[in-house]
Amino acid sequence: MITLENVSKTYGGTSGIVALRDVSIHVKEGEFLVILGPSGAGKSTLMRCINRLVEPTSGRILLDGREVTSRRRQLRAARRDIGMVFQQFNLVKRLSVLMNVLSGRLAYHTFWPSLLYKFDQDDKRVAIECLTRVNMEHKAFQRADTLSGGEQQRVAIARALAQEPKVILADEPVASLDPKIARQVLTYLKQIAGELGITVLCNLHQVEYAREYAERVVGLSQGTVVFDGPSGKLTDDILQQIYYRDPEAADDDG
Amino acid sequence: MTTVDESVAAALQLEAIRRRRRLVKALGWGSLALAVLWFTAREIGLNPFALVQGADHMWDFLTRMFPPDLSYILFLGRATVETIQIAVWGTLLAVVFSIPLSLLAARNTTPLIRIPWFNEHWERLGLHLLVFHVTRMFLNVLRGINELIFALIFVSAVGLGPFAGVLAIAVHATGMLSKFCGEEIEGVDRGQVEAMQATGASKMQVILFAVIPQAIPAFISYSIFRFDVSIRSATVLGLVGAGGLGFSLIKTLKLFRYHETATCILVIFLLVWATDWVCSKWRAKVI
Amino acid sequence: MADPVQAAQDDVLAALVARKKWRFHHIAFMAVGIAFLAWAADGVDLSPKELADGIPKIAKYFALMVPPKWVFADTVWQPAIETVYIAIWGNVLATLIGLPLGVLAARNITRLAPVRFFAKGTLNLFRSISELIWAIFFVAAVGLGPFPGAVALGMNYAGILGRLYAEAMENIDPGPVEAIQATGAGRIQVILFAIFPQVLPQFVTYMLYWFEVGVRSATVLGMVGAGGIGFELVTTIRLFEFRETAVVLLIILAMVTIIDVASSLIRSRIY
Ligand SMILES: Nc1ncnc2c1ncn2[C@@H]1O[C@H](COP(=O)(O)OP(=O)(O)O)[C@@H](O)[C@H]1O
Ligand SMILES: [Mg+2]
Repeated sequence: MITLENVSKTYGGTSGIVALRDVSIHVKEGEFLVILGPSGAGKSTLMRCINRLVEPTSGRILLDGREVTSRRRQLRAARRDIGMVFQQFNLVKRLSVLMNVLSGRLAYHTFWPSLLYKFDQDDKRVAIECLTRVNMEHKAFQRADTLSGGEQQRVAIARALAQEPKVILADEPVASLDPKIARQVLTYLKQIAGELGITVLCNLHQVEYAREYAERVVGLSQGTVVFDGPSGKLTDDILQQIYYRDPEAADDDG
Repeated sequence: MTTVDESVAAALQLEAIRRRRRLVKALGWGSLALAVLWFTAREIGLNPFALVQGADHMWDFLTRMFPPDLSYILFLGRATVETIQIAVWGTLLAVVFSIPLSLLAARNTTPLIRIPWFNEHWERLGLHLLVFHVTRMFLNVLRGINELIFALIFVSAVGLGPFAGVLAIAVHATGMLSKFCGEEIEGVDRGQVEAMQATGASKMQVILFAVIPQAIPAFISYSIFRFDVSIRSATVLGLVGAGGLGFSLIKTLKLFRYHETATCILVIFLLVWATDWVCSKWRAKVI
Repeated sequence: MADPVQAAQDDVLAALVARKKWRFHHIAFMAVGIAFLAWAADGVDLSPKELADGIPKIAKYFALMVPPKWVFADTVWQPAIETVYIAIWGNVLATLIGLPLGVLAARNITRLAPVRFFAKGTLNLFRSISELIWAIFFVAAVGLGPFPGAVALGMNYAGILGRLYAEAMENIDPGPVEAIQATGAGRIQVILFAIFPQVLPQFVTYMLYWFEVGVRSATVLGMVGAGGIGFELVTTIRLFEFRETAVVLLIILAMVTIIDVASSLIRSRIY
């Protein structure tokens, strides 16, 4: 489904911060993949390279066998196939919940109907179905800023689902939520992968959640992949490597 | 139990109703706004075609202004300096007047008028805030009247010249600055005030040590902003004979020396733009 | 050494004394400042003597205004209303012109630096030239009347509002913008769905506030023949009709007050 080939990213020119070095990952269709790593490891950068919110410095990213490029037309089409869920939810606070979910449909239209904030009946049906999937349909007409954090994140998931995507990228979706709500949100994401066959990539920095939810884990440390395998194989030794690798070691293999 | 399909259908229906309601509301307000705009447009003779027809006049005007007579800049030195001087003193006087006035114009620092055994009724009528209300009303008068109007009046009272301009700017800016600062003083953090009161400080001490320090950054920042605005105002005071660049502008215009008028406009633009730049840097440094 | 606490206290006290001391550059700075102010005061004929002469004259001038000649209100109420109309259209035009320029000037919307530079420059030009100068220009083009006044106000305020709009858009939360971009939405869709909803309340506040200011500005447009109550004002002042001037001033004040109150009511309903 998604293939990353030798993706590297350096922020701020050639002498800048190296956020990713030579990352290669292959993700199968319908997989629920957790990318685990401490903060600053490059998890967000990895996701943002996939939908080109960040331009990778080198390497290729293939979606369904086709390369994702930054050419305007193709990029819009690729982004439509890739939903994204953020740590800070990033809902448009003054719009209603339904309008937020409908904004996931924007890539299916030109801007003319959007000028009047208009969507067709099918869009609305999809949006409400997506809201129902995360049990938020009863709040469809409230303003987004009246919701709690967990509810906002569920709406954000519905927005991503409304794109009818092939892939969902979840960038630390539970980092701003308390444990109970966090598990609820992760359960929704996992269901989505299982039932709808959508590939889900989920960034996490907490090991417990990764152990609990992931089928496969990619361990990222200082921009390099240090582990790739089933969550059962996350031994203390490997965790040590992901979380406490000292900078010298990074320089050695860099 | 309802099925998923039913609840989706119900939500869709609800959405349609809400959308219709919103549409009606939008149409209502929209047509009201359009009616107001249409009516007022007719009353003031708004006519886009007149602009098109006037285009050749405008073009004529512009071509007669162009190119600006740059040698005239030498004669504008005095007027430019005078414009700056007017703004400096106008703002400075306003700052000085505003210090006491803004204290009087804030509910939490204004002197309260109390009458021993009559207090309850007195306060219910809000009369203990008499000083506050009178000050605010006075400030509203200063704010409500444009500095050019003041300039016009002062010119006819004390004669032509920059002195009238300074007074006009000072008076109007005092109104603006004091009202703004009065509100700023009313908005200070209660906690710090209470902490100071708890030490047993007198009312005057509380104002000096808890209220004023909190309001000072906003006061300085707004004073700088006011100086920026004053420069802009000072460039037109000359139209009514109160000194500065506006006087050169109107003079060259009346003598049909349009190339020189263009130079005046150019200098005004540069002056305002430079002041704006300096003031925004200065404010950033103060905050 | 003596007791360390005592020593520390002495240090602090010494530091305080040192801070209090006037340094040469403080004194030089003060001297330059005072000299500058004195020079400026001299340039604008500001002196205690002038003030002592001038202020009584101004007081006398205002004293001559009482009692106001109320019947004159019959003549000025219509120009007063016209003033409000000018302000309304001035602000409408300002937003129509200023908003697109503001969008072009906002760093997070317009990527092309030359376009941004051009938009910012235009806004600066509109803003720096006072509405009165614009009015002179438009009166020359289309003749006397309120219409050129409204256009002039529109030009000046387009510059002011456009810049405020641009700043408001630059200061929004970038998160929702990224989220909408990530759905594959186009540029204009991002503006409509992620940026406008965030800045709308601020835009309305600006419009209302600058409408208030606009009414005050519109009261002087008549001085150059661009409509509104300014013409009556100038005429009465030039003819030394003090009691008529008083009526004009009172009507301006009443008008400004009513609009202040109305707009603060609207503003409190928005939030
Ligand atoms: N826009 C940016 N500009 C410069 N450096 C950045 C930027 N975004 C991230 N970085 C740097 O790249 C590294 C990886 O960051 P990030 O991908 O956000 O890590 P994570 O999401 O795992 O916490 C960090 O060192 C961070 O400081
Ligand atoms: Mg991150």
